[in-house]
Amino acid sequence: MSTAVQDTNSFKEYFRGLFNGISTTVKGMWITFRYVWAVKPVSIEYPEVREVLPERARMRLFNDAQNCISCTQCAMACPVDCIYIASEKLPEGTEIKKTSNGQAIRLKLTQFTIDTALCCYCGLCTTVCPTECLTHSHDYEFSQYTIDGMKYDYLAADVIAWRDRIVKA
Amino acid sequence: MQTRWDIGEPEKPTINIETEQLKSELLTLNMGPQHPATHGVLRIEIWTDSEIVAHAIPHLGYLHRCMEKHSENLDFRGVIPFVDRLDYLASMSMEWTYVAAVEKMLGTEVPRRAELLRILTAELQRIGSHLMAFGTYALDLGAFSPFLYAFEEREKILRLFEEVSGARLLYNYIWVGGVWNDWTTEQLSRVSTFCDTMEEEAKKYHELVSLNKIFVQRTANVGVYSLQDCLDYGASGPVLRGSGLNWDLRKNVPYSLYPEFDFDVPVGTGELGQVGDCWNRYYVRMREVVESIKIIRQVLTKLEPGPVMGKVPKIIKLPKGEIYLRHECPRGELAFHLVSEGDAKQPYRLKVKSPCFTHVSMLPRVAPGQMIADFVATVGSIDIVLGEVDR
Repeated sequence: MSTAVQDTNSFKEYFRGLFNGISTTVKGMWITFRYVWAVKPVSIEYPEVREVLPERARMRLFNDAQNCISCTQCAMACPVDCIYIASEKLPEGTEIKKTSNGQAIRLKLTQFTIDTALCCYCGLCTTVCPTECLTHSHDYEFSQYTIDGMKYDYLAADVIAWRDRIVKA
Repeated sequence: MQTRWDIGEPEKPTINIETEQLKSELLTLNMGPQHPATHGVLRIEIWTDSEIVAHAIPHLGYLHRCMEKHSENLDFRGVIPFVDRLDYLASMSMEWTYVAAVEKMLGTEVPRRAELLRILTAELQRIGSHLMAFGTYALDLGAFSPFLYAFEEREKILRLFEEVSGARLLYNYIWVGGVWNDWTTEQLSRVSTFCDTMEEEAKKYHELVSLNKIFVQRTANVGVYSLQDCLDYGASGPVLRGSGLNWDLRKNVPYSLYPEFDFDVPVGTGELGQVGDCWNRYYVRMREVVESIKIIRQVLTKLEPGPVMGKVPKIIKLPKGEIYLRHECPRGELAFHLVSEGDAKQPYRLKVKSPCFTHVSMLPRVAPGQMIADFVATVGSIDIVLGEVDR
């Protein structure tokens, strides 16, 4: 049988156990009590105080539609298929624009939607993007009342208007 | 089997006929799936006789996400985010095991710096995971403050991982061929300061919890797995080492650069009870934290500037064949059985051998005869993560 049960049978062991119990508990209490004055709090009061996110933090995806060349590499890399892209041929005779890093935009982007409710924030799509227009923003507060609200159309006027706020430097 | 409780011979009923007609039967009690002591969504059906557990049946599947089947439709890079979600408290170790299996089939050479960084992250992750185990185990047994102390230290690790990979829990950091980002000198110096504080903290934890009389009484001689049980069921990790076998894949079947490192493998010795009880399993974990700190310190001295990504084809296609590769993860031996059909972009089959699954299956072995409170202590001491059990 277990030794602990046998110990309590002995008179001497009983008092030794009692003393041991009290002393170790007081020791633990003392460690906790020290936190009253000796240790600074580590928690932050969230809505008022906000942590500065690290440079590489992966929050909501943002596509800078002006630089997108509709290559669909991000949609193919996505493990959960949450990126919806549609594009059409440019009408003949249109001037071919260039992205910020010099790639020609040969297709007209007609839809670029990301279902952020489905997105798993793994970052695989941003690493394959040739023009680096698809990035993780630092925006993490985007709860919605309906699940359809989580679908972000990056060609919509309001999202384009946010561009300066969302795009990293 | 030894139990703390022995019912002995039942007394002969000598009272009137009415009491004789009263029958006693076992009460079925569902522990979980929302029970906080089951560490996730494990449902354990226990048959109790008053407060004594007569039988325990674990019911799995509440967190089943079809990960193995799903990964058959993903490219080899796309599986990594899913592998992360297996053991969400030790994602780095999960990623490393999977990636190592792919690399071995692909024949990729990993740069030395990347391999060292992998060891660094895996060992930091081991500390983080064991801190979580420590905190929640104390929480299971009714002590609240150790949980907060553990999370204070774990937060430092998560912050480092967030800075280097971009996420706090599901990193997608270790890639086929290397690691995603390099660590800066500033971050590495913070790792070194963390090692110093963590050593001090570990001493504090021992004073606060490990040697506390109440904690020892709750855990010593409770939930004893004999070594033979562990070998029969195929246990691994701290459960096996807590039962007294010196078996660590990092030492016994060395992989990666582990042979270069000098560290010990803590084994349960049964100082305060029997070998293989809850206290020994807990104590093995706490000593492993110190060993991990040793390894991290050696990594920091060995690190030299260099590339962190090897040469990998843009689209990974594995040759025909299969591989079974296992690594020592915080919870035990994790293994991936990866089968490739040849020149395919997706795995033909990806089977996960999870240590937690084995450990859950060991619960019915030790449950009969335990008090319910002791059973909670046993469930906590094997430190399971249900994401890995159900997959």
